[in-house]
Amino acid sequence: MVHGAWWKMSNITDFLKDYRVILLIVIVIGSLATIFAYGVPQGLDLRGGSIIQIQLEQPVDPDTMNTVTAILDRRLDAFGVIDISVRGSGNQNVIVEIAGVRPEEVVDIIGTPGKFEAKIENETVLTGADIVRVDPIEVVGNEGRVPFIVNLEGAQRFAEAAEGKAGTPVNMYLDDRLVTSPILDEGVTAGRPVTDVQITIPGESRADAEEQARDTQIFLQSGSLPVKVEIVGINSVSAELGDQFVNGALIAGLLTLIVVSVIIFIRYRKPVLVIPIVLTSIAELILILGIASVIRQNIDLPAIAGIIAAIGTGVDDQIVITDEVLKGNKSEKNKRSRTMLKIRIKEAFFIIFAAAATLLAAMLPLAYVGFQRGHTGIGILSGFAFTTIIGILVGIFITRPVYAKFIENFIAKEE
Amino acid sequence: MIEQIMKSYKPLIAIPVIITLIAIAIIAFNGLEQGIELEGGTITTLNLERPVDQFQLESMVERGLNTEVTVNSFNGTTAILTMDGATDSIAFSNLMNGTATIERFSSIGPALSAQALNQVYWALAIAFMFMSITVFIIFRNFVPSMAVILAGMSDLIIAVGGMSLLGIPLTLASVGALLLLIGYSVDTDILLATRVLKHRGGTVTERALSTMKTGLTMAAASIGSMVALYIVTVFFIPAAEALSDIAAVLIIGLSSDILATWLMNLGILRWYMERGGR
Repeated sequence: MVHGAWWKMSNITDFLKDYRVILLIVIVIGSLATIFAYGVPQGLDLRGGSIIQIQLEQPVDPDTMNTVTAILDRRLDAFGVIDISVRGSGNQNVIVEIAGVRPEEVVDIIGTPGKFEAKIENETVLTGADIVRVDPIEVVGNEGRVPFIVNLEGAQRFAEAAEGKAGTPVNMYLDDRLVTSPILDEGVTAGRPVTDVQITIPGESRADAEEQARDTQIFLQSGSLPVKVEIVGINSVSAELGDQFVNGALIAGLLTLIVVSVIIFIRYRKPVLVIPIVLTSIAELILILGIASVIRQNIDLPAIAGIIAAIGTGVDDQIVITDEVLKGNKSEKNKRSRTMLKIRIKEAFFIIFAAAATLLAAMLPLAYVGFQRGHTGIGILSGFAFTTIIGILVGIFITRPVYAKFIENFIAKEE
Repeated sequence: MIEQIMKSYKPLIAIPVIITLIAIAIIAFNGLEQGIELEGGTITTLNLERPVDQFQLESMVERGLNTEVTVNSFNGTTAILTMDGATDSIAFSNLMNGTATIERFSSIGPALSAQALNQVYWALAIAFMFMSITVFIIFRNFVPSMAVILAGMSDLIIAVGGMSLLGIPLTLASVGALLLLIGYSVDTDILLATRVLKHRGGTVTERALSTMKTGLTMAAASIGSMVALYIVTVFFIPAAEALSDIAAVLIIGLSSDILATWLMNLGILRWYMERGGR
């Protein structure tokens, strides 16, 4: 063995000229730029916040699901809960995410039905209990219409209060906050009780009218969600604990890298081999985070475990490549040639692709559930599936070829 | 000694088989603990604001919420509690007022946990099936493929047995680790089958020995990194059970894979080669 020969200038320039090496460098720089520009979205457990999982009494169609999420969203908004995200998951679950760590507030709001009141000149004429049904909105020209049906009792009260008051606003309150004030038109001020009511909203444009009508529809429905809801899960993490998780993960990552380096050194006694393995691991970390940043995939604790696992399989692959090449050097001293080396690396890649394929196959169900359902049930692990799969793909298509090139250039030539 | 092992490989196949059977027995008798995500319940991490001891805290919560409480960890400033059933977060928050700040609160009702548990079984079954199909596609050869799949199954069973023995609960995180294990533990088996089946570079024994060197280095690297992860999470971030559970399950599974690969899978492959298999 000739010491020091590995870093011959010609070897280095040859290595850097390889298109796979250039590709890796470009993608790493691109990922770093994206990470610095847009940041990596962090999961709830790292940034702190609360997730409240709600289950509907029975599965619903997408339209009803949208109504339910819109109503919950409006109600939380009306209560001044900031930074909320309400989204459906599958056909029976709703997930509410808030920035703070006070899920009690949300639990309280969702747990009690919304209080809807319509007042004419400070007199309550309708409450949520009077609304029988809210029909789909209509938009005609620049005018939005929200038809709804009230019970007879409500209709009577409304008719009495509204009699002769065309042009007066009806103030509508959701949980004691004024949300909209449509003007009474002549049709409902004649004193006759009408159960078939319609709120008409003039808008500045068609889109504006539609939006206002939709808002009003939601307010009317707030008192009674179209389906019974129940809080089935609460998850909240403080920002401090989230920071602890991030720091802990960084320490774990660093220590893992050191352990792997030591094992590689013990096995091969070549410090030069430690360099590409460490660099590859760091490159893979950057690429996974870069892709997460581009597609806005949350990185949470399970995702961190996935990153460590993906990098771990990467190290395994590198050991396979190294051994194939070194073994070739030993057993074929005489007929050692570039073609033999290529064949050996090809064999190593057969094993690597096969190993990657089984791992991807095993991760598919998790990825599917995560993709379909979002953050409920086993979908909590979607970050884990994401980072593992991306890590494996990045590995076999981008970083592994570069490592093979490195071994080919610096290690195989050395002996 | 390794040469000796190589010669009398047939009885050695029995070792991982026996361990797998013991694991099944342990699971059958000892059962498997389930985490709150799969059984329902509440876990919380508290930052204590006034000096209370573990038992005061425990009885305070038990009386206040009228529920069964387990203290998972307690060090004077931080405490991790689990409670049976879905806890009323409002009542709990009021109860802790002045005693502790709630750093984390996670409560899962029975509806959600039942759904998750169902998904877990499906995910494990489908993952194993997909892995098996992939292995068959790779080798297109029944005996070596079965040898790889059996090794994978033995790893999975021993990992679950280890969880039962060590009291690692079945949580979504540990399920993630089991799924990973299904795809990951067969890596060394694929390596072995590929190298041994190729009629190049010495005798079967020689090829197996050189492959063992590679495989054991791989195992050392992956188990070593999981040990590092486990130690860091247990000592620095005890609240990140997700990470320590994943690490622990992989340590058990990948360790058992050493036996499954080099005693069972290698044994079956040699047997197969000796009987004229290709």
